[in-house]
Amino acid sequence: MKILVINCGSSSVKYQFVDTKSELALAKGNVSRIGMTASVITHKPHDKPEITVSAEILDHIAAIEYVVSLLLSKNHGVIQDKKEIDAVGHRVVHGGEEFQDSALITQELMTTLRHLIELAPLHNPHNIRGIKACEQTLPGIPQVAVFDTAFHSNMPPHAYIYGIPYVFYKRYGIRRYGFHGTSHKYVSERASKMLNKPLAEMKVITCHLGSGNSAAAIDHGKSIDTSMGFTPLEGLLMGTRSGDLDPAIIMHIMAREELTLNEGNTLLNKHSGLAGISGVSSDMAEIIEQSREGHEGASLALNVYCYRLKKYIGAYAAAMGGLDVLVFTAGVGENAPVVRKLTTDGLEFLGVKIDSKKNNTAIRKETDISASDAKVHTLVVPTNEELVIARDTERIVAGK
Amino acid sequence: MPGREVVIVVGAGLMGQGLAEAIASKGNEVILVDKTTKLAHRGIKGIAESIDREIGRWGLTESDKKAILARIHPSADLSEAEDAEVVFEAIPEDLTLKRELLQELDDICPEDTILVTNTSTLSVSEVASFTKRPRKVIGMHFLNPVSRIPLVEIIKGLRTDEETFQRAVEFAESLDKKWITVNEYPGYVTTRIIVPFLNEAMHVLMEGVASAEDIDEAMKLGFGFNVGPLALADQMGLDVVMTWMDNLLRELSEHKYNPCPLLRKLVRAGHLGVKTGRGFFRYDEEGNRIESAAPVVGGAIK
Repeated sequence: MKILVINCGSSSVKYQFVDTKSELALAKGNVSRIGMTASVITHKPHDKPEITVSAEILDHIAAIEYVVSLLLSKNHGVIQDKKEIDAVGHRVVHGGEEFQDSALITQELMTTLRHLIELAPLHNPHNIRGIKACEQTLPGIPQVAVFDTAFHSNMPPHAYIYGIPYVFYKRYGIRRYGFHGTSHKYVSERASKMLNKPLAEMKVITCHLGSGNSAAAIDHGKSIDTSMGFTPLEGLLMGTRSGDLDPAIIMHIMAREELTLNEGNTLLNKHSGLAGISGVSSDMAEIIEQSREGHEGASLALNVYCYRLKKYIGAYAAAMGGLDVLVFTAGVGENAPVVRKLTTDGLEFLGVKIDSKKNNTAIRKETDISASDAKVHTLVVPTNEELVIARDTERIVAGK
Repeated sequence: MPGREVVIVVGAGLMGQGLAEAIASKGNEVILVDKTTKLAHRGIKGIAESIDREIGRWGLTESDKKAILARIHPSADLSEAEDAEVVFEAIPEDLTLKRELLQELDDICPEDTILVTNTSTLSVSEVASFTKRPRKVIGMHFLNPVSRIPLVEIIKGLRTDEETFQRAVEFAESLDKKWITVNEYPGYVTTRIIVPFLNEAMHVLMEGVASAEDIDEAMKLGFGFNVGPLALADQMGLDVVMTWMDNLLRELSEHKYNPCPLLRKLVRAGHLGVKTGRGFFRYDEEGNRIESAAPVVGGAIK
């Protein structure tokens, strides 16, 4: 099947057109600055050079129309007719407790998604907008929602219940949901392939380190715990997000600086993390560079980042009663040997030991970076969320 | 009004700036019009400063600032409104000025363009009567600073139609504002209630009942106000408060709307509050209260 994979943000639409038979992206690209004076569109057919165009794209409908026209275009296209798009797969951030698997998009599902906006006010509205835009632009073509939360939806209650009155779980659905599920699932499956060992026989920790970061404990192929919680703010230190902190701190700061709810929220989500500690950048490449040049704030940020991750790895090894495979993925995980080194230093007692030569050369490619005498396999696995979305979409559409 | 079309804001003063910022921060393009390009640019500068303050309060980021400012376009040409779906006016509270502007907009805009007047005391029905489209004129009273105050009063003039009202509601919601419906009456709800409250605090001060600081402290702690009445009056501008009182007095002819003599006196002396550095309290050049300095007016009038 040929699947159009859509990931809608507030002012951007990322897309890939995937052939599930060859598992190849026939074309991919990004529409950014939607609704602003000049939107920027990049489009890369698999066998031709990338093009960048500027156009007036006023909303998500116009963006999807533009994407379809690019797929159909004579010079840069990859299909002749809209009908060649067999289905559309959407990344949807929050599936709540309602969705434990990807699902065919129906009126009923849309109603549920709208109820879930309360849980993911920053993401779900844009995802919904993207679905509606595809309904208009590609009528009659089946659409599937693939949820970031679904892979974690079978976590046991002792992992997802917070230490606050239980009534809030009942009343507002406050529990740990976890995110990046599509990525954790994909890289754990790749790890199993690389090691030629079924997931059902392994204890895996996957570290998705991008601009948002999360770790997951995957025991026998099931996510039993993950570091992001009710929202993607919890857990690891991120580019601009704080991750874990004493919850009393935020009330203290908000009282001292007389902040509104919105300001407190932005403080934790956009002014914190690497950017907040270093005062330099939210970008790990920049942090590493500055740290090398002796910038103290950057070095501190880097150390906090890796130390926190190391603690999670220890915790998840304890949660699973052991560890067979440790996986690094996403922008930072795939590209930053120094982060992998600082994180795994001192974990020999767990059986984690990396080969520095292999580590330093493993950039954006599937590599086993473990030392030859290590008990635990440490792997670098480039993530491919779009492929998972395409595969899931095919499975759901074929089975409907 | 939802979606991402261009919104016109006429008047690049404090309210116009606040509106333009609020609209642009939700992803809409805004054309900010004033009489001269210089005034419109001054408005943009004011917005940039307001965003900087909000960055200092952790509410926005540098990239938010870039994105918001990129969506606001200064202009001195009212004909920009010729294909607008909605035009906000936020010019000074002066009926003659409003009349001129509304008539001009009435000529420029298509007949179904909605004209929103941002007024805190003037009659929406009267403003609407300046145009040939009174059904399409509605009042929306935002409170300063627009980006921080989550309320808007939607004021129906006598002839405002339901469709226009619904569009105003959609617009308020698209800006994440809670709204209340007001049937036109002088002072609406917020101004009508807050202004006599401020005035009464001034009487209490003038009569030597308590110090300015203690009056504010009492109302903050006793009733959960974020700001005390005298500090609030300083923030609003004492001249503005007095104008409101005078308007209410004129419209409703009730003694209770008589401006407190102390208010008149301070306004006459040019002590207008935060903006002049001196009102009931003293302020530095950035508008921060000078905590250590004694209040300008103590128990007795000094």
